[in-house]
Amino acid sequence: MPDLPRSLVTVGAGQAAVAAVRMLRRRGFDGPVTVLSDEPHLPYQRPPLSKDFLTGESGSADLVLLDEAWAAANDVVLRPGSAAAAVAPGEVVLADGSRIDADAVLLATGVRARTLPGLAGERVLHLRTVADATRLRDALPAVERLAVVGGGLIGAEVASSARARGIDVTVLEAGQLPMLGQLGPGMAGFCADLARDHGVDLRCGQEIGSIEETADGVVIRTAAGPVAADLVVVAVGSVPNDELARAAGIATDPVRGGIVVDDACRTSAPGVFAAGDVATRAAGEGYLRIEHVDNATTQGGTVARALLGKPTPPAEAPWFWSDQYDLNLQFVGHAPADAEIVIRGSVTERDFTAFYLADGCVRAAFAVERGGDVPAARRLLALGTPVPREALADDDQDLFDLLDSITA
Amino acid sequence: MTDTDTTHWIATVRYADLARRRRTRVELGDRAVALFLVGDRVFAFDDVCVHKGRSLARGVVWQGRVVCPAHQWAFDPETGRAEGRDECQPVHDVRIVDGVVHVDPRPRSHEEI
Repeated sequence: MPDLPRSLVTVGAGQAAVAAVRMLRRRGFDGPVTVLSDEPHLPYQRPPLSKDFLTGESGSADLVLLDEAWAAANDVVLRPGSAAAAVAPGEVVLADGSRIDADAVLLATGVRARTLPGLAGERVLHLRTVADATRLRDALPAVERLAVVGGGLIGAEVASSARARGIDVTVLEAGQLPMLGQLGPGMAGFCADLARDHGVDLRCGQEIGSIEETADGVVIRTAAGPVAADLVVVAVGSVPNDELARAAGIATDPVRGGIVVDDACRTSAPGVFAAGDVATRAAGEGYLRIEHVDNATTQGGTVARALLGKPTPPAEAPWFWSDQYDLNLQFVGHAPADAEIVIRGSVTERDFTAFYLADGCVRAAFAVERGGDVPAARRLLALGTPVPREALADDDQDLFDLLDSITA
Repeated sequence: MTDTDTTHWIATVRYADLARRRRTRVELGDRAVALFLVGDRVFAFDDVCVHKGRSLARGVVWQGRVVCPAHQWAFDPETGRAEGRDECQPVHDVRIVDGVVHVDPRPRSHEEI
């Protein structure tokens, strides 16, 4: 058996890198660990950036994932403001030309916000970093009308935060419904209703033309007419930061980008791992890249286990959550096209779990204020055998009791 | 150990009722507490999650831990420690007297855990 790595450098200081580093130290890895970030901050988390950070309910101090005290106590070297210029097995070269040797390298470089051609200017913002979020937050008090391009999770959360601040919001979504691909028509329709019921002017199926700056704002040209706003947030997805891997000849997804990894988060280069938003896994005939914080945390842990010589735990179904318009939304699994939906609870009261069935088997679940159903939903997903619909729909039937009766 | 002479235990629900539902939320003055059945033992947590302030009481017990429904943080029932994190959910002592669940309204201090 080859020797286990004795040192680690992470390129990136987000959720995946932090999860890996924390688990390594917790499980007794005592070799040198260095965490590089190209941002001038301590390692921080992003989920609040579209939510409570924008509403002002939390601040930058609440974002910190690892502070200097923890790093000192755990013998981890934090190097903010240290962009990597190149990676190779055994070393990372920084932008200033210096080199760091390490038995193992973790590429946890995340993604950057995707931009749209023609949508740029002082009044057009994107949201990924704390600097972006700070700029947006500080601009909001002077904003009466906000336009959000993109009806995905970030767009919806920004819209929700802006509505909470009393700002008029127009959301421009390219698809027929927001989150249509992820949620299917029924639940995407629910999300559309949710936004509209909170005063959002949601316009779907919109092709964006150009944007013009006026004396006091912008005008976005769309096929259905102009949209005037004081500020625009473009939230149309992301581009993986896989350039270091490409330059090093490490395998990436040729179609959508992202660093290809196996079950243990190993890349095609020995001793080089990737995890989090930038990592992509073979799935069917293509690749699947998951951009949610839970995946980053899980994959960070997988890297730590690999470095410790421990087996990789079995993969779990993808899971994400979103807090918007005072509702907690969660999704686990993959919604099959033409899934049969079984509702547990009440859609009108916005307190339900929607189970997605294919051939009678649970493939996914969308929980609205019902995160308590998620642990059972994960087990239902893993069953792979048909589940009685009436039991799923019956709120008096405990889901764990149902599982026990099926697996008995 | 909490000094039982000065603990003002507050009676809440009957153990038999909790055993049926496995979890419930009770109010002790101005503090909401979530009661969970783990195995056959009752554990009491502050209901407001240390993470984002959601109610723990709609969560579940999964793999021996109490899971907050909002973001699936998993808490050790004995200590309130969140799995894989530094945060702790305040926990309260519980006594079953005459079939009724009694809860100490003061959370256990860290020295006692």
